[in-house]
Amino acid sequence: MNNLSELHLDALAEVFSIGAGRAALSLSEIVGDEVRISVPSVQLINAEDINPATLSLNCGQFGAVNQHFSGPFNAEAMLLFTEEQALKIVSDMMGSQMSLEELAEFEHEAMCELGNIILNACLSAMADILGFTLESSLPHYAVASANEILSRLRKDNSQPYVMVLHIDLAIEKRHTAGNLVFLLSSASLTNLVSHVDQFLNKLL
Amino acid sequence: MHMDKPTKKLLIVDDSKVSRMLIRSHILAKHPDWVITEAACGEDAIALVDNDLPDYCTMDINMPGISGTDATEQILSKHPSVKIVIFSANIQETHQERARSLGTTLVSKPVTEKSIALALDYLANA
Repeated sequence: MNNLSELHLDALAEVFSIGAGRAALSLSEIVGDEVRISVPSVQLINAEDINPATLSLNCGQFGAVNQHFSGPFNAEAMLLFTEEQALKIVSDMMGSQMSLEELAEFEHEAMCELGNIILNACLSAMADILGFTLESSLPHYAVASANEILSRLRKDNSQPYVMVLHIDLAIEKRHTAGNLVFLLSSASLTNLVSHVDQFLNKLL
Repeated sequence: MHMDKPTKKLLIVDDSKVSRMLIRSHILAKHPDWVITEAACGEDAIALVDNDLPDYCTMDINMPGISGTDATEQILSKHPSVKIVIFSANIQETHQERARSLGTTLVSKPVTEKSIALALDYLANA
């Protein structure tokens, strides 16, 4: 199991597009403005083959919100923004003329909340559409370098598959690109694919 | 006297093949005689409508190329008789307002029996 068919990827992209739509609705209510979202794209990669380009990780520091999801399949989900973008989002969420120092104080809490909204919107859309229930842990936010993130993704032998969802979010006309990364074990990937197959079989 | 309902032509516009399959299967379950065509982007939809005018159209918003709302505006400016329902996951107020201002409505995804029923109801009464 190291490949998903075009139809599997299309089904997952559509599921995540619905999730991104739900997340954008929540975010637009928080920031009081339209949140523009791109057409999401989904890729499945072997963890050992992951590189900075696959995650659009250039250089500098990244803000990463982690959350663990469990149910018929388990996944470690990670939402990645550059730290600069993370601070812009926090600034939009707080909606006031805060200084950078003040913003940094709220960064942790606001990014956890943002991660919670986006990750849960995507995972709950998946659970609703594919017909199962997923439980989520509390979100955890950390700032890390690209190398730290990549080595963490590569070293987890129990989760050899990485599903990458790339979404662009633009809040208040600022361009903000985020990556959503799911780490999956072989068994979890097999279970996820079998749920996607059940969903697709109803259509064929 | 029994009157057969006239066969309708429906155009489904969505970049996701799975989404088009879902809409098609739900609609054919209710209206097996409808003639359905599909387009994967707004530009193709505009060309298809110019070529063979449908009665109804379902339109996604977030697609590569022009947005579904822009495609709707272009289609309706040339062919105001087409009844269009916007079917999208992007359910923010801005898009709902835009749909209303174009004289259409926005039905939120996912594509389910319930959301299809809302869309069909709108198309039948629009």
